[in-house]
Amino acid sequence: MNTISKRSWAEPYKIKMVELLKMTTREEREKAIEKAGFNTFLLHAKDVYIDLLTDSGTSAMSDKQWSGMMTGDESYAGSENFYHLESVIRKVYGYRHIVPTHQGRGAENIISKIMIKPGDIIPGNMYFTTTRLHQELAGGTFVDIIIDEAHDSLNEHPFKGNVDLNKLENVIKKYGAKKIPYISVATSVNMAGGQPISLENLRGLRKLTDKYQIKIIHDMTRVAENAYFIQLREKGYAKESIAAIVKEICSLTDGATMSAKKDALVNIGGFLALNDKSLYDEASNLVVVYEGLHTYGGLAGRDMEAMAIGIKESVNDNHIHARVGQVEYLGHKLIDAGVPIVKPIGGHGIFIDAKRFLPHIKQKNFPAQALAAEIYIDSGVRAMERGIVSAGRSKETGDHYYPELELVRLTIPRRVYTQAHMDVVAESVEAVYQKKKKIKGMRMLFEPKYLRFFQAKFNKI
Amino acid sequence: MNFKTIIEPFRIKSVEPFSMSTVEQREQFLVNAHYNPFLLKSDQVIIDFLTDSGTSAMSSNQWAAMMKGDESYAGARSWDLFEKAVHDLTGMPYILPTHQGRAAERILYSHLGKKGKCFISNTHFDTTRANIEYSGAAAIDIPVAEALDYASDYPFKGNLDTVKLEHHIKEWGAENIGAVILTVTNNSGGGQPVSMQNARAVSKICKQYNVLFVLDCCRIAENSYFIHAKEKGFSEQSFRSIAQEMFSLADACIMSAKKDALVNMGGFLALRNKELADACTQMLIITEGFATYGGLSGRDMEAIAVGLVEVFEPDYLKYRIRSTQYLGENILKKGVPIIYPVGGHAVYVDAKKLYPHIPVEQYPGQALVCELYRIGGVRTVEIGSVMFGKYDEAGKLIPAPMELVRLAIPRRVYTQSHIDYVVEVFDEIIATKNKVKGLRITKEPQFLRHFTSFFEPAELSFQVV
Repeated sequence: MNTISKRSWAEPYKIKMVELLKMTTREEREKAIEKAGFNTFLLHAKDVYIDLLTDSGTSAMSDKQWSGMMTGDESYAGSENFYHLESVIRKVYGYRHIVPTHQGRGAENIISKIMIKPGDIIPGNMYFTTTRLHQELAGGTFVDIIIDEAHDSLNEHPFKGNVDLNKLENVIKKYGAKKIPYISVATSVNMAGGQPISLENLRGLRKLTDKYQIKIIHDMTRVAENAYFIQLREKGYAKESIAAIVKEICSLTDGATMSAKKDALVNIGGFLALNDKSLYDEASNLVVVYEGLHTYGGLAGRDMEAMAIGIKESVNDNHIHARVGQVEYLGHKLIDAGVPIVKPIGGHGIFIDAKRFLPHIKQKNFPAQALAAEIYIDSGVRAMERGIVSAGRSKETGDHYYPELELVRLTIPRRVYTQAHMDVVAESVEAVYQKKKKIKGMRMLFEPKYLRFFQAKFNKI
Repeated sequence: MNFKTIIEPFRIKSVEPFSMSTVEQREQFLVNAHYNPFLLKSDQVIIDFLTDSGTSAMSSNQWAAMMKGDESYAGARSWDLFEKAVHDLTGMPYILPTHQGRAAERILYSHLGKKGKCFISNTHFDTTRANIEYSGAAAIDIPVAEALDYASDYPFKGNLDTVKLEHHIKEWGAENIGAVILTVTNNSGGGQPVSMQNARAVSKICKQYNVLFVLDCCRIAENSYFIHAKEKGFSEQSFRSIAQEMFSLADACIMSAKKDALVNMGGFLALRNKELADACTQMLIITEGFATYGGLSGRDMEAIAVGLVEVFEPDYLKYRIRSTQYLGENILKKGVPIIYPVGGHAVYVDAKKLYPHIPVEQYPGQALVCELYRIGGVRTVEIGSVMFGKYDEAGKLIPAPMELVRLAIPRRVYTQSHIDYVVEVFDEIIATKNKVKGLRITKEPQFLRHFTSFFEPAELSFQVV
């Protein structure tokens, strides 16, 4: 399998503005994490040195995006920036109709409300927290149809985001096509470790769904990163541009939800895209209730402008090469140090396998949560749990879901940190790995009803 | 200063050019927009009085704060600043940021509302009513009688009728009241202020019956100006302390920061009750964003924190209210029927009185909206039977009590010359008023129909070439 060449490369930009960071002592960090209930989400950002909590909304915008911000047209209706955004989405992604939303979950809320009826089944290539919750709140049930390899952190399948078409066909036969409003397909599957789906697989999926007349809704927040892996690994695409691959991916689907806070390099924003005019009409009626009028959808004009420019920048080959290259750089440092991580290395972050890192801690004692807290205490690097806490509880049995993957995610914001920052992160994770036997499990003291990982509180056992 | 000229207490740092158009071009644009100016493109508009929401010009200090936005997903510095600014103003301990006001409304009212519940307000605004009715609950408006009397120059026409309030609480049973919502200033009622005395009386009744008292505070600085100017005992108090006193009377408040926080995007929900705050936070995270950003970028929270201070500057408020009054008084002199006294953020023209020959079924307000655009490129909004009308079981229109057109003035955006231009446009409106025809709806959505409905002239009032 092709991986990125180890030959040195540099960022295709220089720095125009900086944000100063605060250094903290180990004692200060111990106090801060205890106060935060050992949940990195509850830390104050001022106490964090390198913030790898998420790549969502944390990008550094370009000078062109900032100058676009200055041309924000804040008219309540019919803002120029909306029409610019609409034309860029049509051109870059090829979707026909768009409804802007304040962020991705706004789009998920609307698509779930207009397409899902109580009792419906929504197959998808692995769950994502907010996506599944919106499906459930609309009365639907999520069914996982990702290939088995995706659940195995050691398997080096090049496209671990692929859909298992046999699993899908069995689901369709079991429930009937009428019960399935759409297939939810993510590019760069987040919970699997930022793993891509291949175009070959997507074409197979299209053929199968056409046979049963089922729509495909694309969770496209990291579509450009997925396209990069296709260019690198899929036969026949080495000479294709990222832009062409992105467009081909989108052409195989019927609509999309987008959190522009990832690939599109902005701090806020998202949209819902639909090719079907009557579905679009329903969506634009509903967006007024939840988000804002259909020509701003809860976004300032300037933020739509920054998104339009960011989308264009996101499909640039040099940009994506540097972006994914930086993630690979950190990943290889950790592999060289013997730290167990999900392989192959994904597009937006490094996923540490907490089960293998901390084999002495049972999954019910939240090993990933404990590891994220320990990394913070060591160096002020903020990571995120993506394991049993994120998975939540089954609405039938009331017990935890026990996901195969118990991970800590080191998510790299786009264009924000340098290689030197990556070196600090690698050294810190290595240091924690050296004294891993001293790390203890956790007990959950407070558990919110929905999306518990955001606000749950813990203490050490 | 004792000069008559209204001088803006700022100078201009950045400008946004707009293009002029001809009457003929605008007639064609109107056809393309199906006679609904909400559907016009903004570059087809000369003076945009569609709304004062999210259209403010930010100050250089707000832009400077934007540059310091901390975009960390959780626990950002910008959140700390925002939380402190909202807490200092409202005194409420639990603060939930939202991408705009309607999201705060949806979160609170969908939690409190369901079939069999009732919400009572001086007047529910369009998005508020939609959110409440979407939950299955009823929304009752009880403005004071003076609010409907054009001839009256009663200074606090935004007040809520407290006798009726007590009556409704008894009739529905206190346990079935979702909340009592006092909107300051009262937007749908003409941007009219609410007195402190009225807010105190509402608060007392709510406490007596143990009913939740929510302040919809998106224009509270403008309301404070009127209390300062017109209510006995407040002439020595600062605008900010008047607002703080009003917040102290309420159990919760909802703000669309796009109005009196002088920003282009943002809002919040603030609460005193921890259990209610916890329940709302769950819904916030699902639909808006994590508890420390709620769907706002860090820079937007910074801009709100600065705006909430700037809006209470005495020179600013004086200029703001005087400028609105100047427009109202000058068109009134020409014989345009308006709601008087002039409110804080907008001038409301009585279209039923201006066009007595157009029946309410043909939406005289929408007709005036189209005429203002056609003649002067001025974009306004109908607040009448298009926005609030309903159909009975036979499909016949139940009209709204008033057929108004709102000229909402964005904050710090237009100069005195722009206002003078709009005054001139009304000369033509008056001269041609007998020739104007009504409109009929050709397509309408289920909710908030004024945003996206299509119209056509009941009879063409002008030839399109």
